[in-house]
Amino acid sequence: MTELYNGTMVELIKVSKHYHPNIQALSDVSISINTGEMVFITGRSGAGKTTFLKLLCRMELPTKGLVEIDGADIRRMRGKNLARLRQTIGVAYQDFKLLTDRTVAENIAISMEVSYRKQNQIKQRVRDLLDELDLADKHGSMTGDLSRGEQQRVALARAVANSPKLILVDEPTGNLDSTTTGRVMKMLSSLHREGTTVLIATHDHTIYRNVDHRLLELRGGQMHQLRDGVMQ
Amino acid sequence: MRFIFAVIRQVFRNFRQTWASQFMTLLTVSLSVFIFAFFYLVYINMLSIGDKLGYDLRLIVYLEEEPIPELQEQLKRKILAFDEVEDIRFVSKAEAIERFRRQLGDDQDVLEDMPGDFLPASIEVVPMKNLRSLNQVKLFSEYLGKLPGTIKVQYGQDWIERFYYFTRLVSIIVVLSAGLLILTSVFMVSYKIRLTIIGRKQELELLKLVGATYNYIRTPFFVEGFLHGLLGSTLGLSALFGLFYWIQIKFSGPGILNIFEFSFFEPPVIVTLAIVSILLCTTGSYTSMRKYLRT
Repeated sequence: MTELYNGTMVELIKVSKHYHPNIQALSDVSISINTGEMVFITGRSGAGKTTFLKLLCRMELPTKGLVEIDGADIRRMRGKNLARLRQTIGVAYQDFKLLTDRTVAENIAISMEVSYRKQNQIKQRVRDLLDELDLADKHGSMTGDLSRGEQQRVALARAVANSPKLILVDEPTGNLDSTTTGRVMKMLSSLHREGTTVLIATHDHTIYRNVDHRLLELRGGQMHQLRDGVMQ
Repeated sequence: MRFIFAVIRQVFRNFRQTWASQFMTLLTVSLSVFIFAFFYLVYINMLSIGDKLGYDLRLIVYLEEEPIPELQEQLKRKILAFDEVEDIRFVSKAEAIERFRRQLGDDQDVLEDMPGDFLPASIEVVPMKNLRSLNQVKLFSEYLGKLPGTIKVQYGQDWIERFYYFTRLVSIIVVLSAGLLILTSVFMVSYKIRLTIIGRKQELELLKLVGATYNYIRTPFFVEGFLHGLLGSTLGLSALFGLFYWIQIKFSGPGILNIFEFSFFEPPVIVTLAIVSILLCTTGSYTSMRKYLRT
């Protein structure tokens, strides 16, 4: 049975991205991702997975084509509107983008602070996330002192902390052992079940092999659907 | 309200992380305010002294002969033909000696063997208060020197000229130190913020990515600029007041400084200096942030 979703969260129509001097990262990609859907995007290194995610959070602008998030064309978004959009998108970057001179708690809190959440609410949420990701003892540690795997989990915690409606995760399990990978995927699945749209870019087939979510592949700058998503 | 708390939190965090450069900036702003305010204080006190001198200014026209009443009327008309004056007073030879005698006091016996008319008759001319500039006084003095029967005209030329040039010099220093204040406040704060931006580039980029508004990013920097201006002007002006107070105590008692009354800035001037300093520092932080957010 095909999943029933309420509206479209991500809409890309004929999107291309060209980098100077002659790198064609994406060509004429058209795709629609429903609200509350969980999608895996796979592909070889350099296939354009990261570029695809960057276009969705408007870190990059498409060379041509339309990018819509929750019905809004994000190409022309500026200032307050862009900030509001980004508050609703949680991104776990491949390079983590952590502030290495700040504590784990401070790094996670940043995404909530910009939305002016109450301090006690932020503290509670940070504690819960650290428990969930088995990082409770790292609360006051500097992120620069953590292992790559721990940093990766902190980046993920920051992405989900503000309860965004769209979560973009770039290679979430690259530095994790199987147990921790399980924890991370459990958390992402739980967010998906609560109605969050989750996009995971990965080339780790172990995390999408045994699930029934839609699987897309980026190949030669074009998007190919490998598997349909079905209701769990 | 949460926005204000978020800004305060960021400002404190930034002060904690970059306290050394914050302190240096504060010190520079304080010093600039102090230097400017010092010369400005000297200048306004010079102006008030100048006003006082101008108030007492009188030109004395020494005459060859004591003018008869008809000639006195004629001289009066000629003086008034140049400009309106506050007062014209003829001093006879006898009156001049009498004055001199009074000035000598107990030593007036030295005049006993002197002839009774050895001092020349004179005209004392008190110019109008609007006749203030040195050039105007000079022109008037030259005009009076050409009156018939005039030996010479005196009004303390050397002293007044020196005072006038000194006042001009101080006014130039005031302008230069104002330039220094503007340069240091705007550029120091601007460069300090730019350095902070470079030092915190990663954090500011992240803030943009997680959805921080421009106000969220730039307001803490404005507040920093505001605080630099406020604290810098407070420190600079307090140090100047301390110096002023110390000079007043140290140089009280008989002395040249007691001829004139020195005063500190009136409260509106203090407030204006603080506001200008705050505006300059905030402008410095604004320009840096604008450049950064534009990129």
